[in-house]
Amino acid sequence: MQSENGFYGQYGGSYIPEILYSSQQQILHAFEEAKNDPEFLAELNKQWQQFSGRPTPLTFCANLTEYFGGAQIYLKREDLNHSGAHKMNNVIGQGLLVKRMGKKRVIAETGAGQHGIATALVAARLGLECTIYMGAKDIERQYPNVFWMKQLGATVVPVTTGAQTLRDALDEALRDWSSSHEESHYLIGTSCGCAPFPEMVAYFQSVIGNEVREQSVAQFGQFPDRLYACVGGGSNACGLFLPFLDDKEVEMVGVEAGGKGLELGEHSIRLSHNLGQPGIAQGFATMFLQDSAGQLQETHSIAAGLDYVGVSPIIAHLAEIGRIKMTYAMDDEVIAACTLLLKKEGIIPALESSHALAGAFKDAPNLPKDSKIVINLSGRGDKDIFNVAKAVQDETFPQFLTDYLASYPTNHADHKEQNA
Amino acid sequence: MSQLATFIEEKRQQKPILSMTHVVYGYPSVEESLSWMERLMQEGVDFIEVQFPFSDPVADGPSIVAACHKALEQKLDVETCLSQLGKIAKNFPDSRIVLMSYLNPMYRFGLDKLAKRAAEENILGLILPDLPIEQAATYQAACKANNIDPVWLVTPVTPPDRLAMLAGQASGFLYCVARSGVTGHSVHENKSHEGKAKQTSLDDYLAQIKQHASAPMGVGFGLRERAQIEQLIGKADIAILGSALLDAYNKGGQEAGIKLIKDLFH
Repeated sequence: MQSENGFYGQYGGSYIPEILYSSQQQILHAFEEAKNDPEFLAELNKQWQQFSGRPTPLTFCANLTEYFGGAQIYLKREDLNHSGAHKMNNVIGQGLLVKRMGKKRVIAETGAGQHGIATALVAARLGLECTIYMGAKDIERQYPNVFWMKQLGATVVPVTTGAQTLRDALDEALRDWSSSHEESHYLIGTSCGCAPFPEMVAYFQSVIGNEVREQSVAQFGQFPDRLYACVGGGSNACGLFLPFLDDKEVEMVGVEAGGKGLELGEHSIRLSHNLGQPGIAQGFATMFLQDSAGQLQETHSIAAGLDYVGVSPIIAHLAEIGRIKMTYAMDDEVIAACTLLLKKEGIIPALESSHALAGAFKDAPNLPKDSKIVINLSGRGDKDIFNVAKAVQDETFPQFLTDYLASYPTNHADHKEQNA
Repeated sequence: MSQLATFIEEKRQQKPILSMTHVVYGYPSVEESLSWMERLMQEGVDFIEVQFPFSDPVADGPSIVAACHKALEQKLDVETCLSQLGKIAKNFPDSRIVLMSYLNPMYRFGLDKLAKRAAEENILGLILPDLPIEQAATYQAACKANNIDPVWLVTPVTPPDRLAMLAGQASGFLYCVARSGVTGHSVHENKSHEGKAKQTSLDDYLAQIKQHASAPMGVGFGLRERAQIEQLIGKADIAILGSALLDAYNKGGQEAGIKLIKDLFH
């Protein structure tokens, strides 16, 4: 979606410290040139295909469709990307842009760790130095991802300021970029931040919706009637939705994290029920969860990738003008949706993506039998093994952990050194 | 003419360089921060730069970030802050107060209202590091209407034409950031990826700004030693002391802070 000078309605823009002005302009120009350069686009498509495994399938879910007795349910399988999530689409794109700009190092923030992993994978492949900022609390929740980032050669910096989650990681990445901008690119993971990041990330993610356009016509002879995507930062939603923006008959539903309840601090609902307010922070204007004095507030979701305090300015604008309908799913509904997909279709969804499932499952029984809905399965759930085990109260998991710890070699001082 | 620029020019008749000392409002408590401001004024600093805390201060380094987060453990209110600063301004007519914050808390308060209330409390300058001049037309107009100054920042990597534009629009004073990075001893300093912007010496950088700036010049970011202050004499009007002062205060309270100021400025 084309911005007006970086703005989408009243949202977006570029509100960054003066020190970052030149680097921001450099990215702006590099991206403008790259997206009009057939060679860049050919290389992008090649890497998407040969490194990440695109196109990802559009999978019909016969059992779920029968179970709900309403709309015909299809999943866009972004979980089948290399790295297990849609994050790879954007990282491949920005990685190629980094090479084009001649920078040697990338900085990234990560919440669930999916963007961190994708960045570390691409950095390893392109020979770039890589520093990942991750909230100390997210590191606790998603250690397996941290482990792989380190193994891939990335430096993972735990962020211990503030709430120690994604928002703080983003602040810290911006601070690093302020001192390292000449050699480093800030490889932001979602369609947020200063212009042109929202537009650029949405552009690279739009491969999702572009594929669905072709696949839907090929598989069922029409565009989908409705699209569903979870909305954290908003990149997978932008990716699925934006290519259908001009097809007015295609409805779009964004699902935010309802967390544990609607009290401030218990959820990450920014775009419905008057819970978020317009604000300007972290480089851009959008709807933020904040108090009356304009201080950004803590958020919660069972999915670490959805508990961001702001949201893509593109999604905020499209929600405001009514093009996207926003809803939310609570933590327990998300676990139920995740479990249902496992049992009915043999697919393990990420908890982030399970929000989109939960939102769609609520509507599906009430939709006409000949209607087609596409849910963006933005990531796979392997990373959530510990959290899901806890949520479903698996009885044998604690014993497994105890046994595993008992057999874990204790002379790990050398490894620590190596990973520091 | 700008009230702030006039004040600076008059003061500069008596002193080779003026001092601006930074205080985080509400750190470690509102009372203690106000007492610290008064003490600084008593000791004769020319300016205090008061930072109204924001939860996500992206241009600041670890010392100031930690102080802002500590301060925000209490509920802070912009209106109360402005009235309290107004009292200090009244009690110490030989010094001036400028207010620094990030855009969001000020945006929520209202930029028009901010300019009006600041002027009423004799706070003559406002610094908002994440508000770019391109988005600032109404803010600039509000400042002008109330005869106070929006303070713009320039950096060693600001392109020449932009530097000329910012310096040309500066009133009050121009905040010259001495180096890349965030305030204070950046955690990212001394790493291999630290910027290469040092080709231009500080002297050349300041001379270049002076060509375009009719407003006085303040220099900040990373000032910690007397030699650095001495180097600025004749090239800038104000030396801005931020994280170094906070670090001294954290180590030894007001006395340690005052000692640092005396070492640097006397």
